[in-house]
Amino acid sequence: MIAMLWQNIDYVGSVVLFCIGLYCVITKNNLIKKFIGLNIMETSVFAFIIALGVVDGGEAPIMGAGASAPFTNPIPQALILTGIVVAVSTTALALSLIIRIYEHCGTIEADELREME
Amino acid sequence: MTASALLVGLIIVPLAGAVLTPVVGGRDGARACGWATLVMVVTSGIAAALVVHVAQVGPFSAYLGGWEPPYGIELRFDEFSASVAIICLLGLLAVVFSLRYAAHELPPVRIGTYYTLLLLNLTGMLGFVVTGDVFNLFVFMEILSLSGYALVAISGERTAEMAAFKYLVMGAVSSLLVLFAIGLLYALTGSLNMADISARLSGAAEAPAMLALALLTTGLMVKAALFPLHVWLPDAHAIAPSPVSALLSGLVVKTGLLGLIRVYQIYYGAKVLDLSALNTVLVWLGAISIVMGAFFAIFQEDIKMMLAYSTISNIGYIVMGLGLASQYGMIGATVHIFNHALIKATLFLGAGAIIYRTGYRNLTDLRGVGRSMPFTTAAISVGAISIVGMPPTAGFLCKWYIALGAVQAGHPVFGVALVFGALFIFVYYIRMVNSFYFQQPVHPEILEVKEAPLSMLVPILILAALCLVMGLLGRIPLSFIEPAVTRLLGTVGG
Amino acid sequence: MEVTDIRPILAPAISFACTGLVFLMGRNTFWRRFWSLGAATAKLVVVMSMLPGTLRGTVYVFKLLDFTPGIGLGFRADALGMFFAIVSSTLWLITTVYAIGYMEPEHAKVRFFGFFALCVSTTIGIAFAENLLTLFLFYETLTICTYPLVIHEETPEAMKAGRKYLAYTLIGGAFVLLGSIITFQLAGTLTLSRPGILSMSAGGTTLTWLFVALIAGFGVKAAIMPLHGWLPSAMVAPTPVSALLHAVAVVKAGAFGILRIIYNVYGVELLKQLQVISWLAYLAAFTILAGSFIAIYQDNFKRRLAYSTVSQLSYIILGAALLTPYGATAAIAHIANQAFAKITMFFVAGSIQRTTGKTQIHELAGIGYRMPFTMAAYTVAALSFIGVPLTAGFVSKWYLSLGALQSGQWWFVIVMIASSLLNAAYWLPVIYLAYFKAPVGATLDIHEAKPTLLWPTLLCALYVILLGVTTQVPGLPFSLAQAAVRFVFGM
Repeated sequence: MIAMLWQNIDYVGSVVLFCIGLYCVITKNNLIKKFIGLNIMETSVFAFIIALGVVDGGEAPIMGAGASAPFTNPIPQALILTGIVVAVSTTALALSLIIRIYEHCGTIEADELREME
Repeated sequence: MTASALLVGLIIVPLAGAVLTPVVGGRDGARACGWATLVMVVTSGIAAALVVHVAQVGPFSAYLGGWEPPYGIELRFDEFSASVAIICLLGLLAVVFSLRYAAHELPPVRIGTYYTLLLLNLTGMLGFVVTGDVFNLFVFMEILSLSGYALVAISGERTAEMAAFKYLVMGAVSSLLVLFAIGLLYALTGSLNMADISARLSGAAEAPAMLALALLTTGLMVKAALFPLHVWLPDAHAIAPSPVSALLSGLVVKTGLLGLIRVYQIYYGAKVLDLSALNTVLVWLGAISIVMGAFFAIFQEDIKMMLAYSTISNIGYIVMGLGLASQYGMIGATVHIFNHALIKATLFLGAGAIIYRTGYRNLTDLRGVGRSMPFTTAAISVGAISIVGMPPTAGFLCKWYIALGAVQAGHPVFGVALVFGALFIFVYYIRMVNSFYFQQPVHPEILEVKEAPLSMLVPILILAALCLVMGLLGRIPLSFIEPAVTRLLGTVGG
Repeated sequence: MEVTDIRPILAPAISFACTGLVFLMGRNTFWRRFWSLGAATAKLVVVMSMLPGTLRGTVYVFKLLDFTPGIGLGFRADALGMFFAIVSSTLWLITTVYAIGYMEPEHAKVRFFGFFALCVSTTIGIAFAENLLTLFLFYETLTICTYPLVIHEETPEAMKAGRKYLAYTLIGGAFVLLGSIITFQLAGTLTLSRPGILSMSAGGTTLTWLFVALIAGFGVKAAIMPLHGWLPSAMVAPTPVSALLHAVAVVKAGAFGILRIIYNVYGVELLKQLQVISWLAYLAAFTILAGSFIAIYQDNFKRRLAYSTVSQLSYIILGAALLTPYGATAAIAHIANQAFAKITMFFVAGSIQRTTGKTQIHELAGIGYRMPFTMAAYTVAALSFIGVPLTAGFVSKWYLSLGALQSGQWWFVIVMIASSLLNAAYWLPVIYLAYFKAPVGATLDIHEAKPTLLWPTLLCALYVILLGVTTQVPGLPFSLAQAAVRFVFGM
């Protein structure tokens, strides 16, 4: 059991990170902390997918002189580049929303905001 | 060849339109609206051609850059993708409706942005329903979600921004669940093409396949706002500008359901898991959604809040129909995706027109508005009757089919839940109709307001008329979708 | 013989179109009246033009469109449907005249006449429905359309009655819908063109529960006890509404639905094998007696009428539940007999209210001198309810008793006799009060209702006698009832 977990330490790590992130999103009261939790989740998923493409001893799949098999799988990396773009735009939008909320309400604590409603 | 080109055009045209909106529109809201209308007219034309094509020849694909799957990116157009027709229709009407609404409700600097986001949102939805590739599914989902968050917040009011943030957090978490599942599926099959995944999944290990299924379903059901994952919906849908509410409630939540159909297509085809446990959960959650949505709605005073909760009930119908996994239930559910979009858009746009003219949104304040805005309120009444599922309106046939599906699947008790849940829904719609027509106004000046302007009234009346027409001509969508459902369910039995 | 003909759909369509015109042009008094009366007349003409054919045995059918694959929106004018259609369209014309007179001082007349016309249009739809789904469609539409009429006064009391009305009828509608779904699953069709579509192979228990669901659904509108609660409350509506809708269209739609279930969905032969039908008969007998008992204690004229309606409707149900030809004849004929007598009563109540402002029965002392013609009409209707020969009520009671004997259930004859006595107990005191007691603080000068109220009343009273004496004249509704019975029993 331990050996299996150790062997898949990359996957286990991303699952643990995912859970930590989810915990933050659910429990944190400060909107920025909530959002940091979301970022942790994003990172964990990216790490997971990147880890899928790793081949032991594989090189970066760049064609040209001196390139030799085995290569790591390039598809997950391409996917995650897209994923990072999405994550960045989500972050930008969320932060700008948080700034606006702070301008309007003077606080970014979820419970205080709820009281204002 | 032409069909494939059209299929690519379906996404490229609104995307390019969105990007060009600030260039063309500049600071002139009316010009931006005109441009967006033009873009949507062209897109609707393409969508109509595609729907006609699929009705004639059946499902077809387009391969981007000529690369065939599993290497290239595939756009797949099947009968379920015919929902592009309703997306384009509602998109077009919402854009037209926005002409006066946006000028009135939004800060002038944001009007151009508003149309850009609206077109992006529609692009996301169109892409979502025609893509044949799970990763692109995710990307389009993010396009429509991100533009959706921004649209909710666009009025710049405090409540709107808070609602948008809540929506964003829930939405982002659900997107990550879906992305995680996509990673798992890729790990299991080495492919991202849906048909290919389905074919390769049959030999895969059960546990990770099940985990992927659970993550996908949960993520998509957050998007669809199925109870108990609905907490983000009421605020976001009620506070957004009305044309946006119509799109969010009518279409955006449906993408979760169309996504679920795609998941079904993958898993039913693969036969790697027995889906009956999942179906049971979905049917129960659907039934609870119907009742809880109606229950919450009864206590709402705000007309848009009420409509938002009623969306949760209707999502319950659809999920129940899908979960029943019987021919009738599935057909009813799929058609209800179309019909509910029509109905809810009628209601939200109607409510928007009333709020635009009167400035009130509470039922008590709106008493007597039926006398001053007869056409708008008549359209809303048609929508109300339709959403409750009274014949001969669009809502009825779906209710009939889903309930028939429950009996067919051997669970008549869910049919009972559905039929009586609908009565529950009636309770609050009758309150709405009462306050429009049969109660003395609280604010006498409400009798003096004018009927909605034509750019609002025409979309509302078109939608209300469609609610009736789709009830009478219900056989057209029903028989259109039937082969797809037969194919989907046929793979269950083998 | 079935003939495709546009008239079965033309009849509801005409009044539907006129409804639209009433809404659009109704602010002008002349056009509102013109289209209301025009619709009523045109529809009566269309329905009547089918009568000779129906009596010859021709069934006019018209299939409008496919509603869903397999179930069409179809119209079919068979003998039973024609019977109901003739009764309701005749009464609609008369009631429209009455309503024009009655509603003069009221508000929101456009809404009133618009929905009034719409209701009767849907009633014809119910009468001519080719299948259960079409029937359900119009049945639910009727519920929705009557709501604005019930709450016409917009008082808190009216709103409350409206809520109660909707709660009862919509739950009933939900049961009908469920029943239809299960019927479709069992039989694969919902047509009402055959004497029975279900068969014993579905299993006795299923059939029994299905029957209970369907009867409960239609029984709400037919006001079978204990589902009658909405009817007395709904009497807050203006009198023409109470008259037409709560004595004719709505309640008869329920009763008609039950007849369709018994004769066209289950069929007589199948029901004879099920125990549940005799329970329906007992329930109907109970309602006949209990409704009359409660009516005795009502002092409000319209509430007494309401409970009398509850009691009378169950004659129809009882007649149908006997499953004998005579019983069926009585059931069908009573649709007309009760309708004309009851509407006379309502017109009288409305005329008295509009002319003298009196709504309670104890206030009616001496009214016979002030409004002699109105009270004469009342007397005719009262005698009909009691079942005196030469009035319509006698025909129903006679055939109902024959039917009870035919089925060997003689105790229902006792119910009939008891009901006659009870009817006498609550209708005759009014006559005594009206003619033999001196009025309090009023002169005995003749002060009749105005002509638009009086003439419809007298016409209906005349009809009550006509229906009582002309059962053997071909071409009158009674011969239609017999034609329907021959079809149902395969004679």
